[in-house]
Amino acid sequence: MTSSLSLYAPRESGLHRLHPLTKLTSALLGVVAGIALPGVWPNYAVFLLLLVPLAAWARVLPDFGRVVIKIALPFALSLFVIQGLFWTGGTPVVEIGPLSFKAEGLYFAAKTTGRILVVMGSITLFVLTTRPDQLMIALNQRGIPKTFTYVLVSAIQLVPRFQAKANAILDAQRARGLETEGGFVQRIRALLPVSIPLVLGSIVDVEERSIALEARGFSHEGPKTSYQVLVDTPIQRVARPVMMLGAVALIVGAIFVW
Amino acid sequence: MIHVENLTYAYPTGTGPALRGISLDVPEGQFLALVGSNGAGKSTLCYALSGFVPHFYNGDYTGRVVAAGHDVGNTKLGDLAGEVGLVFSNPFNQITGACYTVREEVAFGLENLGVPREEMILRVEDAIEMAGLGGLGDRSPYALSGGQQQRLAIASVMVMNPRVLILDEPTSQLDPVGSREVFELLDSLSRNGGATVVLVEQKLEWIAVHADRVIALHEGQILADGDPRGVLASAEVERMGVGSTRYTQAARRFRRREPKEVDGILPVTLEQAAEYLGP
Amino acid sequence: MDRLRKDFTTITWVMIPVAIAINMALGFLVFSLKIPILYLDTVGTVLVGLLCGPLAGALTGALSNFAWGLFGNPGYVPYFPVAAVIGLLAGLFGQWGWYKKWWLWIFGGGLITAVAGAILSAPINAYLQGGVTGSGTDVLVAAFRAGGASILQASFLQGLVTESVDKVANYAIVWAIVKALPVRFLARFPRYENVRSD
Repeated sequence: MTSSLSLYAPRESGLHRLHPLTKLTSALLGVVAGIALPGVWPNYAVFLLLLVPLAAWARVLPDFGRVVIKIALPFALSLFVIQGLFWTGGTPVVEIGPLSFKAEGLYFAAKTTGRILVVMGSITLFVLTTRPDQLMIALNQRGIPKTFTYVLVSAIQLVPRFQAKANAILDAQRARGLETEGGFVQRIRALLPVSIPLVLGSIVDVEERSIALEARGFSHEGPKTSYQVLVDTPIQRVARPVMMLGAVALIVGAIFVW
Repeated sequence: MIHVENLTYAYPTGTGPALRGISLDVPEGQFLALVGSNGAGKSTLCYALSGFVPHFYNGDYTGRVVAAGHDVGNTKLGDLAGEVGLVFSNPFNQITGACYTVREEVAFGLENLGVPREEMILRVEDAIEMAGLGGLGDRSPYALSGGQQQRLAIASVMVMNPRVLILDEPTSQLDPVGSREVFELLDSLSRNGGATVVLVEQKLEWIAVHADRVIALHEGQILADGDPRGVLASAEVERMGVGSTRYTQAARRFRRREPKEVDGILPVTLEQAAEYLGP
Repeated sequence: MDRLRKDFTTITWVMIPVAIAINMALGFLVFSLKIPILYLDTVGTVLVGLLCGPLAGALTGALSNFAWGLFGNPGYVPYFPVAAVIGLLAGLFGQWGWYKKWWLWIFGGGLITAVAGAILSAPINAYLQGGVTGSGTDVLVAAFRAGGASILQASFLQGLVTESVDKVANYAIVWAIVKALPVRFLARFPRYENVRSD
C-alpha cells in the first residue's frame, strides 16, 4: 500500500497538458488492450514500447516505475510460484524436489504478468498525470452533475487528512502504552481507540458541512458554470473517438478473432 | 429586509420549543447583534432566518419569516443561497473540500449559481481583497490558519452578494489573533453598509461599539430590543445570563462605591464610560 | 424509483466522501498494524448503504475503489463492481430491517455479502491477476490449486475464507458505530427508519 498522498504528480509536460478526457480515454484503451491482447509478447511490447516512453515524456518515470513494480512484483512472484507449481495436468519442465514447475503454468504466469503491467500501468500513468479536480470539471462539461463529481474530489482531499489523524492518534496511543505488536487479538484491540474517535468525529461533522454546502448553493437548480477552463485541441477531439473505436476493435478481436 | 411574524419552532428531537412567538423587523442595512445565554435560541433564530429551520432540521414550525424578499418557510434552500448568507463558528467545516485553491473555493458558490466566468473572476478577486486574503489566492484552503479560514468562509458567502448576512458566533473557535482578524473584517462590513447583518457574538464590548441594534433572547423569546447601550446596560439582561461589558461592570462598581448621584443608563463603551465617570 | 432519488440529499453527498475516507483510513490502519486476514475497507460503504440507501451505498463502493486507484493502489480499480454490490446489499439489508436484529445484521448481512463478494471477485481476479492475490492469502490459493481446484475455483474459495471473516467484522463495526451515534444526528439521514429503535 502506498502513501496517503494522492498520486498526481504535477509536471510540465505535454502529457500533463492534454485534456483530462483524452487521458481517461487513453487509460481505458490501455486497460482494454491489456485484457484483450492475446499471447505473451504483445502486452510486454505495449508496456515497454508505449507506456514506459510515455511515462518518460511525462517526466514521471521514477514514480511510474516505483508504483508499477510495487504492484506487479508480488503478483508476478505468486503467479510464477503458485500457478507454475500447481498447474493441473501440466508438463513439468523444472524439478524442485517433489514439486515441479509446469510449462503451461509458467506460460500463464508470463502472460498474466504482462496483462497486469499494461492494465495497472495504464491506470497509474493516468493518475500520475491528471489533476482530479480538472477531470471532474471535464466530466461536468459532459453532463455529469456537480454533486457527483464533488464526491470524488472532496474524498481525495479528505483521505490524507484522515490518514494523518489516524497516525497521530496511533502515535499518541502508542506513547500511552498501547500495544500494537503481538497477537491477533491485541492488534485488534489496538484498532479500537484509534478508529472510533476518527469515525464518529468525522460522521458528526457531516451535518455542519452539509449546511455549509447548502449555504454555497449546492442544491441550487439551474445551469452551473465553471471558474476553471480546460484546454482542448482539435487533434484530441478527433483522437478520443478514434481511441474508443480502437478499444471496441480490440474487444471484437478478442472475442471473435483470437 | 427581515420580517419575522410570530415564529414558534421546536426541533424534532427537542424538548419544547426553541423559539416562542418571535416577532421582529430588521430594516435594510441594519447591523443587528443577537445576544443571549446558552440555549436562548440564538442559533435557532439564525437557522430560521436562513431557511435551515425548517428545511434542514424539519420539526414543528409555525409563523412566518420573510428575508431578502423571500418567504423563507416556503422557499427551497437552493434558492435562498446567495440571498441569505450563513457563516457559523467552525471554520474547518465550512471548507467545501472540492477546491484546491482559495480562489476556487470562493468561486464555488458562484459556479453553483451559474454566474458567467468573466464576472466570477472579478467578483472573486474583490471578495479575496475585502477579506484581507490577498496573496493567498493560490493557497490550499486547508493550508490556512483558523482566522484565515473563517475569513475565507465569510468571503465565500459574501461573494454571492446576499442581501442578508448571518454570522453565528464566527469567532468562538478562533484564537485571539484569528478573532481579531475576523472582527476587523466585520468592522469594515458594518461600516460599508449594503448588506443587512445579523451577528451572534459573545464579545459584548465589540457589539456595543459596532452594532446599530441589539436584541437579547432568553428561552426562545425576545427579552430586550433596542440600541446597544439600552440593552446591554440593562440589569435584567445581565441577570438573564447575557453578561455585560466591562465598562458597565466598572461603572456599576463605581456607582456602588461612590454615593454621588449619577443618573442615566450605565455605559457600555469606553467613550460612554469616560463620559459617565467623568468630572 | 422516486425513493432512490430522494435518498440523495446534501447530507448523503457529504457523507459519501467521508465514508470513502473512512474506508481508506481503516484499511490503511489494518495494514499498518499488520493485522492478518482482515481488510476492514468497506465499513464506510456498508454504513452509507444502511443510512442512505442501496444506490448511495453502491456509489460509495464503486467510488472508493477508484479513490484507491488515485492513491497509488490501482489494483483495487477493476473490483469496483464488487464494491458496488457490497454497498447495494447493505442498503437492501437495511431496507429489510435486518439492522434491528443484531445477529441477523452482523452474521446474515456479513456472510451473504462475503459469498456475493467472493463470487463476483473470483472471475475478475482469475482473469486479470491469474487467480492470485499477491499477498499472504496466496497460501490458501496454493493449497486449493494443489488440491486440484481450477484457477477460478481456487480464487473463489480463497475469497470465501477471507471475506467471511472480514465482512462479518465490517458489519459488526457498522453496527457499533450506529449504536454510538446520537439519535438527533441519525435522524438527518434519508434512511433513518432502517436504524430507528421503535
